[in-house]
Amino acid sequence: MKKVLQIAAREFVATVFTKAFVIGLLVFPAIVGVMSIVGPKLFGPDRSFAIAGQLAVVDPTGEVIPQLRSALTKGTPAADLADVIRIARGEAIGGNVLEALGVAPKLTLVERPATADVEHEKAWLRVADKDSPHLALAVIHANAVEPKAGETALGSYDLYVPPKQDARVEIGVQEAVREAIVGARFKARNLDRAQVNDLTSVPRVRSVTVSDTADRGTVGGFQFVLPLAFMFLLFMGVMGSGQGLLTTTIEEKSSRVIEVLLSAVSPMQLMAGKLLGHMAISLLGMSLYIAMGLAVLTSFSLFGLLNFALIPYLLVFFVLAFFTIGSLMMAIGSAVNDLREAQSLMLPMTLLLIVPWFLWMPISRDPDSTLSVVVSFLPPVNSFGMLLRLASAHPPPAWQVWLSVAIGVAGVVGAVWFASKVFRIGLLMFGKPPNFTTLVRWVRDA
Amino acid sequence: MSATQAAVELRGVTKTFGGTTAVANLDLTVPRGALYGFIGPNGAGKTTSIRMIMSILFPDTGELKVLGRHSALDAKDKIGYLPEERGVYRKMRVAAYLMYIARLKGMPEKGLAERVSAYVARVGLAGVEGKRCEELSKGMLQKIQFVAAIIHEPDLVILDEPFSGLDPVSMRLLREQILAEHARGATILFSTHVMQQAEEICDHVVMIHRGRKVLDDPVSSIRSRYDPRALVLEPLEANADVARVRTLADVESCERNEGAYHVELKPGVDIAGAISRIAAVLPVARIEVKRPRLEDVFVQIVSERADSADSARELRAELAGQSAEAPT
Repeated sequence: MKKVLQIAAREFVATVFTKAFVIGLLVFPAIVGVMSIVGPKLFGPDRSFAIAGQLAVVDPTGEVIPQLRSALTKGTPAADLADVIRIARGEAIGGNVLEALGVAPKLTLVERPATADVEHEKAWLRVADKDSPHLALAVIHANAVEPKAGETALGSYDLYVPPKQDARVEIGVQEAVREAIVGARFKARNLDRAQVNDLTSVPRVRSVTVSDTADRGTVGGFQFVLPLAFMFLLFMGVMGSGQGLLTTTIEEKSSRVIEVLLSAVSPMQLMAGKLLGHMAISLLGMSLYIAMGLAVLTSFSLFGLLNFALIPYLLVFFVLAFFTIGSLMMAIGSAVNDLREAQSLMLPMTLLLIVPWFLWMPISRDPDSTLSVVVSFLPPVNSFGMLLRLASAHPPPAWQVWLSVAIGVAGVVGAVWFASKVFRIGLLMFGKPPNFTTLVRWVRDA
Repeated sequence: MSATQAAVELRGVTKTFGGTTAVANLDLTVPRGALYGFIGPNGAGKTTSIRMIMSILFPDTGELKVLGRHSALDAKDKIGYLPEERGVYRKMRVAAYLMYIARLKGMPEKGLAERVSAYVARVGLAGVEGKRCEELSKGMLQKIQFVAAIIHEPDLVILDEPFSGLDPVSMRLLREQILAEHARGATILFSTHVMQQAEEICDHVVMIHRGRKVLDDPVSSIRSRYDPRALVLEPLEANADVARVRTLADVESCERNEGAYHVELKPGVDIAGAISRIAAVLPVARIEVKRPRLEDVFVQIVSERADSADSARELRAELAGQSAEAPT
């Protein structure tokens, strides 16, 4: 055991006390930090973007154009679209649409005769005007404001736009025309829109989460993001060190130091030492990330929302996943001569580990579904599946958790058994890289 | 020799890789305190045999004992091993690497740093302890690797091709260190395909060819058994009349060979008398009894084997390392 610990200590020191490790460990939180500050500026609405140009309207009803006209010609030749909507709604607005649009659009209304030929009017869209581009042609349906005789259904409008139109322009135009039609309908029925708005407006409330310790405002999406955060930690821990095990094994083999080591320790001791060393590295990384996560929760007064029983579960399922994946990674590393040769053997493993990412959403949404239950019992992804379920709003019953742990332990035994056989043979094999059939033959021969 | 006396004991050991037999029915006994040479051309099965002794590989059949134990795994701390395919952790510092290997060999922490410095100085590399392994030359690294093999003062030292790639000065230094380890009481087993190295160091030689042992004798016994009954003669004058030597009744033949004359004597001839009679008819700068070279012995043995179709030329080519076969 002493030798195993010495190997583990060397692996730990050789990895942790390097610039690459420190940088690698800090890169993710640094990216998250930078993105949370810079992201909104980079990916938020483009404040320099503005909708400005002409909107042609054919209105057989004669009711919609006045709504638009009164808004667009108010004060200036091209009024704010915000005004159009505000006037039409009879309220002050500043909703999502305008936020998405950035600077309020300025539209100049081009009124076309009610009987205009639509095909002829379309030609107007193709006329280039740099100073005031022709943005859209709206053709209001005859029954857009009042239904046809004998009918109850109301009509809408047709919208024509030139090619390569920015989607945000179309959104702005649609919003303006829609609001104008709605305003016309209210007016036709002698209804006060502002009053209707008041009567139909019920603001969305923020719920209060009642816990054993205190009541606090519910944080939207927390229960949805939490399983993802735990799965990320598990994935990072397993894959980070799995890659480390793969590369260090290949390095030891290709540099021929492996035979010196095997003269001092058995292959099993070497394998156990490397696994323990890299597990410690992963635990260090995970601990730091957990600490950072808790610090963030504390700073936002969300500390109490986290169920701390999840952390021991994270560790248990990490150990199971780590020993399964890590030992198989070492087996691959021992069987090949360089990292390039490892790629083909790594492909099935990589595909397998991508599965939980695809299943995160369905498992988080419905943790008791057949799919969720099956995945949580299927090694080597059972650790990911069960952890997602545990972190979800509806944790599984205890017997399922223990069954998943038992299956995980069996998976570890199987993976370590297979890997140790491949490891023992593969370490001293040079030349043509093996395929999966060869690996199976090694296991049989070992 | 009993098992308790033997440092290494192999009985009927066979190892195959797929359809290739690397070692076939090998018997070998290396007594404690001996200095054994394990010789043969590339691909003969030396490295496979050594890896089995080290329990890095396991035999298909046969029995094996190392330092009285059934597996080297139980005696690894008492064995020093310098593999043929040797490497280091390139980014590690020399002292850290040697201390790591020493710890794995069961050395206590106390006094380890001092021991490392002393051993590094012993191979003429004092002061390199703080350097990274990747900063050292190939020859320096080989010395460090040798130190890694002996730093824990093992009872058994197994060296696989220890001299390969070394310059003559380093070779001499390493030879002295091997002899020093032997003088300390360690059993030495080293393999080489350069038979002259074995001749210079060993007191016992085991020859292996295509996985089979073809010779297992003390060097002195080999010399007497394979005595070529020949002399090496170098005339005092370059244009001396060597024909007079050929007329002597003791002489079977006298042929020029590599700057000297190879004088083969007739069977039963007294060597001392023959030397004085030759010196009487031809002034000589040098005349000496020709020692049997292990290479010649190997070629002779293998050529004589009924199942061998090898020509002497092919065998010598193999010994010169011209074989395309990878070491096993």
